[in-house]
Amino acid sequence: MDFSWTEEQTALRERVRELLARQLPSDWEHLSRHGPGSPEQTAFSLNFCPLLAEAGLLVPHWPVEHGGSGAPPWHHFIIGEELWAAGEPRGAQYMNVNFIGQTIMRFGSLEQKRRYLPPMAAGQAIWCQGFSEPSAGSDLAALRTRAERRGDEYVINGSKIWTSYAGLAQTCFLLARTGGAGRQGICIFLVPMDTPGITVRGIPSLIGEGDIHEVFFDDVVVPADALLGEEGQAWPIIGWALSHERVGIARYAFSRRVLDGMVRQLQAQGRFDDPVVQARAGQALAAIEAARLLVYRVIDQRARGLPPTADANVARTAVIAADHQVSDFGMSFLPDTYCGSDHPLHLSHHERAIAAGIAAGAAEIQLNLVAQDFLKLPREARA
Amino acid sequence: MNFELNDDQRALLDAVEQVVQHHLARTPAPVRVECLPELERDLEQGGYFEAFNTEGLGPVAAAAMVIALARLPFCTELGASALLAPRLGLPRTCAVLGEDRAAPARFLAQAACAVAIEADGVFMAPLQAGDAREVESLWAYPMGALIAPEALRWERLDADPNECLNLWRVAIAAEIAGCLSAAMESVVQHVSDRRQFGRPLGSLQAVQHRLAQSAVLVEGVRWFALAAASGAVPAALALGQAQQAVRPVAYDLHQFMGAMGLTLEHPLHRWTYRARRLQSELGACERQFQIAARQAWAA
Repeated sequence: MDFSWTEEQTALRERVRELLARQLPSDWEHLSRHGPGSPEQTAFSLNFCPLLAEAGLLVPHWPVEHGGSGAPPWHHFIIGEELWAAGEPRGAQYMNVNFIGQTIMRFGSLEQKRRYLPPMAAGQAIWCQGFSEPSAGSDLAALRTRAERRGDEYVINGSKIWTSYAGLAQTCFLLARTGGAGRQGICIFLVPMDTPGITVRGIPSLIGEGDIHEVFFDDVVVPADALLGEEGQAWPIIGWALSHERVGIARYAFSRRVLDGMVRQLQAQGRFDDPVVQARAGQALAAIEAARLLVYRVIDQRARGLPPTADANVARTAVIAADHQVSDFGMSFLPDTYCGSDHPLHLSHHERAIAAGIAAGAAEIQLNLVAQDFLKLPREARA
Repeated sequence: MNFELNDDQRALLDAVEQVVQHHLARTPAPVRVECLPELERDLEQGGYFEAFNTEGLGPVAAAAMVIALARLPFCTELGASALLAPRLGLPRTCAVLGEDRAAPARFLAQAACAVAIEADGVFMAPLQAGDAREVESLWAYPMGALIAPEALRWERLDADPNECLNLWRVAIAAEIAGCLSAAMESVVQHVSDRRQFGRPLGSLQAVQHRLAQSAVLVEGVRWFALAAASGAVPAALALGQAQQAVRPVAYDLHQFMGAMGLTLEHPLHRWTYRARRLQSELGACERQFQIAARQAWAA
């Protein structure tokens, strides 16, 4: 057991920090305040991600044939910690490198790999994830968007909601039903967002711009080879993809940065000598570091090539708790600056903490999975 | 980062697991505190407490061993034996005192020596029969108090108080992790077997979610204790997190064991009442969090 970084890993972290210091503009924090899916951050990411790619820091964990360097998952994760803590200058492109790319690599056709992986590796691809629907949020397998096979094509009809980044995305990782009810009837399609019949409508939200949309599919025709994997195979693929998504975002690293910033403010105001403030800061720090260890446990398993386990759900639950602890600390001791416009990163943290247990699979779904797959409790009878 | 035990550590933990399984097969008596001479003998003869000073094993293996052995519903001194006594070259059993040398401490009435970790040094006094008395308590540990601490022959040890305090913090955190894990295992078994409303209690989402939240806390406490043993994270932070977890986890575990968990026939109290004693040591989680905050953000 060894909980320290190798020299190579420490040097990599340092390289990322140097690149950030060089490449982020002086008004970056204000720019990042708009959110990863905002027009501002998306435009920035399309300049920034190619620089990362050039430095070998965008997809180092991908195999050489797809533009990576075959580096261990830890490389990707260290980079992700630094970038997320900095306000995510990759914008929505973090999704590509966290799980969409690997999913296409693992389950996609040669043509799909040829078409979609190079733009991701070059830092030029914006994707959205067409999962949730008005009647299928946590109960994803209830989704109704239909894809009907007609000769060499599928015709897609239905709607998605709460779709992040859809406004500026070039491609959608879309779930639609080709068969009967339940999981077996679901397929994954890779759908260019400029296909006729797709309408996107932004929904104003509490959590930044460009994060929440409705997407309507009206007789959207895609070629049969837009299908990822075989018909009816989607569910295990989704499970694999979500296991990468669950701990993909290093939220605790952002929480740590914001907590550090708040403590510095309190120190400058002479308020950090208060034992109550110290105890609460230590409590939030403990939640962050516990979450970090549980996430590292998952990355360690991934680095060993082990299949995903419910440890990812355990880790994600701890990450949500850490976000809430840091948010509570801000609300208790620095409510005006934590939620004010002078510290845009802190304000972003406040907003994201609200969404921490909602986005990417509700906290309650994580708890279901911890109960059933980690504790092995009997499954609840389903209606 | 490497979350796997090395071969030597794995071999030690496999052997420890055999001891655990052997003694787990016993039916606990309906009493609050039960010490097994056979368990003491197995641990002594097996040389398990030498792990701390053994190359290839070290503090991480010692902490992992405390976690594993704390799962037993029988009472034996683990933390000081595994992590502190080997560092200080002291015999088993040594009882570690709190800030007040006269206050009750675990295992004091049975101990060969008392250790006081204080700001200006680490002190040890050998104990003879009659130096300490048993103290009646609620806790699932034998508690004792020194009769006349000032009359003992205290010796200053050549050791850094901060290093010793951190080892002691890791020891307590690891023991909490083991106690809560075992208590959780026992409750998971109970709610899986016990049927009400025509189905297992553990299939009810109200029960599942609270147990899942406890499991997340306990997993965090366990890895925190191991990482702190390796020196990778501050021990005060690990202990604070462990002590903070005790209240919600122990409460929920008793809740789901229902009236059965209130009886002395069921061993649940052996784990939860140990954890609740450990929850209050070294000034409890608030003190640990304060210390950790001052360390993390030194002015």
